[in-house]
Amino acid sequence: MTPTSPDIKIRCENISKTFIQKGHMEVPVIRDVSLDVRENEFLVVLGPGQCGKSTLLRIIAGLETPDTGSVTLDESPVTGPGPDRGMVFQSYMLFAWKTVLSNVELGPKLRGVPKDQRREIARKYLELVGLSSFEKHYPHQLSGGMKQRVGIARAYANDPKIMLLDEPFGQLDAQTRMFMQVETARIWDQEKRTVIFVTNNIDEALYLGDRIVLMRGKLPGVIHHEYLVDLPRPRDHTNMDLLRMRAKIIDETELVL
Amino acid sequence: MNQTASVANETVDYGRQREPLSLLRLVTNLYFLYSVSLLSFFVIWDRVAEYHLLGDALVRPHLVALQLYQLTQMKFAGQNLMGHIWASTQRILVGFSIASVIAVPLGLFMALNKYANAIVKPVFDLFKPMPPIAWVSISILWFGIGEASKVFIIIIGTFVPCLLNAYNGVRLVEPELYDVVRVLGGKRRDEIVQVCFPASFPAIFAGLQISLSIAWTCVLAAELMSSRDGLGFLIKRGMDTHKPALVLGGMVLIAVAAWSTSQILGLVERKICPWKRSIENL
Repeated sequence: MTPTSPDIKIRCENISKTFIQKGHMEVPVIRDVSLDVRENEFLVVLGPGQCGKSTLLRIIAGLETPDTGSVTLDESPVTGPGPDRGMVFQSYMLFAWKTVLSNVELGPKLRGVPKDQRREIARKYLELVGLSSFEKHYPHQLSGGMKQRVGIARAYANDPKIMLLDEPFGQLDAQTRMFMQVETARIWDQEKRTVIFVTNNIDEALYLGDRIVLMRGKLPGVIHHEYLVDLPRPRDHTNMDLLRMRAKIIDETELVL
Repeated sequence: MNQTASVANETVDYGRQREPLSLLRLVTNLYFLYSVSLLSFFVIWDRVAEYHLLGDALVRPHLVALQLYQLTQMKFAGQNLMGHIWASTQRILVGFSIASVIAVPLGLFMALNKYANAIVKPVFDLFKPMPPIAWVSISILWFGIGEASKVFIIIIGTFVPCLLNAYNGVRLVEPELYDVVRVLGGKRRDEIVQVCFPASFPAIFAGLQISLSIAWTCVLAAELMSSRDGLGFLIKRGMDTHKPALVLGGMVLIAVAAWSTSQILGLVERKICPWKRSIENL
């Protein structure tokens, strides 16, 4: 293990997790994963479907407990979910019965922030994601990209130390997806947080990540390789250095997109 | 309406496109087909009645309308028409309210607490498959022929769908929605208040709608057995005195009353769940 350095935000040490399927079929999902994430780093966990990357994220969120190993956030162990880690879900998971504004202010509401104050917070982040004029809409009136903006604003409104994004653009069409990547880079630039972003899309990973952790393509998931993406921002999807790196990553995996 | 489309530098103006009224366009017009459907229904009814194809027990449609008009002009068995309609509606409101006030919370509670579920479910499953009409005779033995026995039948009939739908409404909530509340820092109580209840509202209302239509079946059955007022009583009296117009008129009234109560419930639902209209797009 690397020695503890002061700007390590999240440390995962030797995490393994096995799911028991119906009956007693044991499915090892991730094995012996160790990972450090620095403060305000944009870390992308890249891997094909079914490689345990979402489970890793859920363990960091505290929604699952690892069988072995531990997760520490600012050197204190993670024992369950908490508002210090915001999460954005692949299928948006907005509350259909709440307006956009109520969805975004839910986090502060649950923490007992007074109404005026939490409204103000919610509006601030709705503005950040560009949805100020939609606060009275219900989720079903929004497009997929807009729904996920609400999801991002909702996670931000709780002012988490860490943002966990679980294939957030997996359900969007290619155009919207690209646009949301640009938006994500902009939002992150404006509101720096430590981000762990899970995706199966190489271009997304290269466009957004400071560092890419590539996971092996089959269970149990292990970290296959790590890449430092030292490219200036804002990036360009067709930048030559970026494309060279893309070729390298493709070469090194069975991941073909 | 003028539609303008610009293709490169060229501007194409599609004027109002008037197709000639063709036979094909007419017979494929849905409103035309709706009218044909209804009109042929009444014409066939009228012809069947006129030529006594079903004996003299089927009367022509306008006689049914006339009968209904007459009922509004005079008292029948001590009540005017509104009185009979209200008698049935009142029984439904009482029975339906009692049943839903008990069954919906019980269903929610059973879905949330496996011990409560383990205690209530076996007995509930025992009674579930029994048609509510099967209770008519025993309820008259227990409660006599007054209001209590009719309300009892309605409670029995409406209880099951109310409870089942509330129960399933909670069970079918997307589990990841609970994760959202937990990640945002919510407790178990927040999961129930923020997710569980609102997410199950549509299912609860679906159950209430089913219950309401069952309630009309039940009140009719109870009134046919024994009653001195109500729409079922009108039908029964029409049968006993051989007045097909009265029987058919009573049937029409029940359909209208059942439809109206269902519409009112639908209005309440849209008021409480304004977000529900296109939940399938979620």
